[in-house]
Amino acid sequence: MATLSTQLRAEIVEMMTELAGDWEYDGEITPDTYLFGDLGMESLDLVVLCTAIQERHGRMPFAEFFAELGQRAPKDLSVGEFVAFIDQHQQLAVSNGAR
Amino acid sequence: MPTPAALPSKAVLIGLDGATFAILDDLMARDVMPCLRDFVAQGVRAPLQSVIPALTPPAWTSLMTGKRPGEHGVFDFFQKDQPDGHYLRFASSQDVGAETIWSLASQSGKRVIALNFPLMFPPPAVNGCVVPGGWMPWRQLRLGCYPPGLFDRLKALPSFNARELALDMAFEEKAIEGCAAEEYADWIALHMRRERRWFEILSYLMHEEPADLTAVLFDGVDKLQHLCWRFLDPACRPPNPSPWEADITDLCEAYFRQLDELIAGIVAQAGPEAAIVLASDHGFGPTRDVFYLNTWLEQQGYLAWAAEGAANDAADGRGNGAANGAPRLGLGQIARHVYQLDWERTVAYAATPSSNGIHLVTRKPDGSQGLSRDDYRRVRDELAAALSGVRHPVTGEAIVAEVLTREAAFSGPYAALAPDLTLVLADGGLVSILRGESVITPRAEVVGTHRAQGIFVAGGAGMRRGVTLPECSIVDMAPLLLDCLGVPVPADMTGCSPAALDRAARARLDAGRPQPLVRPPASNGQPHPALPAARQAAPVESESRKTTDATAVPDIVFDAEAEETMLRRLRALGYVE
Repeated sequence: MATLSTQLRAEIVEMMTELAGDWEYDGEITPDTYLFGDLGMESLDLVVLCTAIQERHGRMPFAEFFAELGQRAPKDLSVGEFVAFIDQHQQLAVSNGAR
Repeated sequence: MPTPAALPSKAVLIGLDGATFAILDDLMARDVMPCLRDFVAQGVRAPLQSVIPALTPPAWTSLMTGKRPGEHGVFDFFQKDQPDGHYLRFASSQDVGAETIWSLASQSGKRVIALNFPLMFPPPAVNGCVVPGGWMPWRQLRLGCYPPGLFDRLKALPSFNARELALDMAFEEKAIEGCAAEEYADWIALHMRRERRWFEILSYLMHEEPADLTAVLFDGVDKLQHLCWRFLDPACRPPNPSPWEADITDLCEAYFRQLDELIAGIVAQAGPEAAIVLASDHGFGPTRDVFYLNTWLEQQGYLAWAAEGAANDAADGRGNGAANGAPRLGLGQIARHVYQLDWERTVAYAATPSSNGIHLVTRKPDGSQGLSRDDYRRVRDELAAALSGVRHPVTGEAIVAEVLTREAAFSGPYAALAPDLTLVLADGGLVSILRGESVITPRAEVVGTHRAQGIFVAGGAGMRRGVTLPECSIVDMAPLLLDCLGVPVPADMTGCSPAALDRAARARLDAGRPQPLVRPPASNGQPHPALPAARQAAPVESESRKTTDATAVPDIVFDAEAEETMLRRLRALGYVE
């Protein structure tokens, strides 16, 4: 049986792959794919993507996540990190009974 | 144009962002827009008063809801995260705290097509099709289309091009950064292609998914007028144009000539049984000066920059700055602006370059900073009085025409999210939130900026013929469209249907008018994401809201990079200099 984390990773990778297909990105989306460096996303793309994810998975502290992202170098984010963040907060929400 | 039927069985809304009769009347008179001229002559026209602020997100939301910003909760491109907080985030469809023409029509079993309207992401689950506009990045357009599968159907169309359909900063920046003369033609051509792509999608959906309420927004009108006002306004056109100026003027007219053809095409496809409504969210006019509001606040002692902010003003991170003589209006500076304030010494600030709003810093529960409750009104009154006295250094004329308090401008359940003061500038323009060398600076060239008075035109089935009405309000458009559909107008809708329907249509409406919708407070109503429950009005249930979990609302505060992207876009659209 797939764990929540596995399901989430598959869902995010599937979503990213589908979107990247619209951008004519022909590489494989993996946990090591970088959203800005590899996929050419802009910050606004990430904000909109997070809004869509929150529609599906509930409220998450993306503001703090972005703030942390903005302070580090390089200011990029891998799919794996992105999934891990969502997974962490989804797990917290589940354990707190918030979903 | 088809001969209209006696009574409408469907409605079509053609949004023309920023359209003004000041430009359209000239274009119609000179035969650049003959179809629109004939349509206006055979229908109804009126000036359409926008809301405060006369800005795309609140104004279109008012048209969609029939309510004013304090009643629907959208005040700007950005939303305050909390009433007393400093942080802003992108406004989204989840900030629209009222029923819309889309949701009301859907609830009455009517089918809807809504294309390119702002505040439509995440897309509401209407009975029909949605492709959002506004700040929808092209890379995410798939996520914005409703219902699922629509994007793939559109993608299969031969002319589909998401990159040109939605906003792409690469295009926007290329055309606008530096405003090089050779980039104007490409910029205008892009907007002509974009409008045609929206038209092609509209045509496809009108054929494949015919709707009772069909709506499309053409936003190139706004963009061209921001950048090319001096070529469009007869009063501003160069008397002896250079070859380049003549070319750009011709291209601007080509845009409007094409727009005229698109309007005629939509009217033809809609057929004789359709009531057609054209509306703009605000008008337009020229602006010649920049009012550096935060600089003025600093000079008056209400605002202080943090040391880091002062340093950042010297260069914008792109090699632009005072040192190389370039304008000190770098985008990076704008992006960091809100974060560059010394909050210990700031009691009033302008947060966004689009709202003309001033926020006062109120005291936190720990009493660490900000104005006490007693000082709040005194400072606000002082500020309002002082702003009214700001004069142009050369002409001596007042810079600020009106200073509105939150209560005056934004009464309603969402007023707490609005600025404490909102300015109406004498030239109708927008303030700068940058740190300027002086409070008032003349612009290098006349550009277009928003005005309160937009346009309303109606024709087709059920509409009066050859009538000019007195000024209507943008909140009157929702009840008119609902009347055309025979959908009950909710009792709490602020707008009133203008006298555009003819006698037969009005009689049918009166005879069959059901009781206005009065919805009970919903048990699972969606609270506004930035308002404490205690500050909200009784929630109104919306069946179109996809999110039923009250916790599932985004609070994405944009970081400096995201904000910079947003502000690049604002600049590209002409909202910031």
